[in-house]
Amino acid sequence: MQDNLELIRQVQQHDSKALSKIYDLYSGALYGVILRICKNEEMAKDVLQETFLKIWQKANQYDPKKGKFFTWSYRIAKNLTLNALRNSSKLIQDQDLSVYSNKESQEIKPDILQLNGSLKKLEIHHQKALELVYFNGLTHREAHEEMGVPLGTFKSYIKQALKKLRETYQKELLMLWVLIEHMI
Amino acid sequence: MIDRNTIKDKGIIEQYLLGELSDDQCKAVENILKEDAELQKYVNEIESDFEKLAFDNTIIPPSHIKTALITGSAGNNIDQNLNLNSKNNLKTVYLAIAASLAALFMISTGWLYLQWQDSKITLKIVQNQTTNLQDRITVLEKNIKETNDWYQAINNAYVKQLQLKGNQISPNSKAITYVNHKDKTIILNPQGLEKLGADQTYQMWADVEGKMIDMGVIPTDRKMILMKYIDNTESINITIEPAGGNDHPTVERLISNVIL
Repeated sequence: MQDNLELIRQVQQHDSKALSKIYDLYSGALYGVILRICKNEEMAKDVLQETFLKIWQKANQYDPKKGKFFTWSYRIAKNLTLNALRNSSKLIQDQDLSVYSNKESQEIKPDILQLNGSLKKLEIHHQKALELVYFNGLTHREAHEEMGVPLGTFKSYIKQALKKLRETYQKELLMLWVLIEHMI
Repeated sequence: MIDRNTIKDKGIIEQYLLGELSDDQCKAVENILKEDAELQKYVNEIESDFEKLAFDNTIIPPSHIKTALITGSAGNNIDQNLNLNSKNNLKTVYLAIAASLAALFMISTGWLYLQWQDSKITLKIVQNQTTNLQDRITVLEKNIKETNDWYQAINNAYVKQLQLKGNQISPNSKAITYVNHKDKTIILNPQGLEKLGADQTYQMWADVEGKMIDMGVIPTDRKMILMKYIDNTESINITIEPAGGNDHPTVERLISNVIL
């Protein structure tokens, strides 16, 4: 998706209407990431709200030359979610309420967190690799241990997964173009 | 410096986009990207892939989050930012009001100070006038007392009033003398006497059995003068003498006399 730089500029100038539009554009994708990382609906709602507040407050720090607005927003959402999880975990430890350590997974229906789109067309290990780093908030080092493969192999998985994903998108785009041609 | 292929092979771009690198590592990658358009293109592709991945897996958040963000409690935070300028404006207005009040206070203080100074000057003038009036009253009281005393002295059943008229030496001179043998006082009103030069003065004499006894020098600037009473005075005489008076009368310059 192409960034709407004018809209971003308006957010940087603290135009609340522009923030509303940015929210409409990005909240779904960001909420998908946040919810899959924390797997707790209440926490995800709070983090989403916090994410947009931070976007609003720190909008001036965004530099379009350094990347897409969504990438910048994704990093904010991911960091806030991981922080919320760390704080929640610390609270549980402090209060010795270990019974809550896995409560989040019980609160959300599994089909909500199920991954969709072109990702599902990838091989399982590619899907898993992308899921771990992108939707679970793990670092490459954490993720390769989780998958039980060497770091180099894991990095190859990611690279290959993204390449195949891109090919899938291109095929879908081609099919869409052919379909439109037919309709015309 | 790391080359393009190493960056690609080591998965540094993916880690960069996922926010796994430190600030220093991010800056290093960004510096390399500035110089390498092909690598930047590669980054853009991966970035788009990640973005599509996220948008393929969108989950619609509850609508109340947006409401809360824009208008609710979170909205207040936004409003705080939104209203920052207006708050600043409000602050400016408050400052302007405060400055105006301060200026008004200064002007009032200045005006009051001037009024105070004026009042001090006026009070000083009034005090001076009061002092002058008091002095005048004192003088008037003294004059009244003196006049009253003179009046009491001459308005007395034992007082005999005699007029002294000038002779050919001083034909226009007149004086009145009040003689009280009971109280043994002689009062003279010399105002009718002609003016003399600074080197001369009038002097009064009592004739007692042919002998002239000094009764005192007569100052002509006084209205009434208490002269020296001499027992057995047969007549009162006024002569012109050198300034300061004389021990013996200058008979040639006798201007007036009256027999008692």
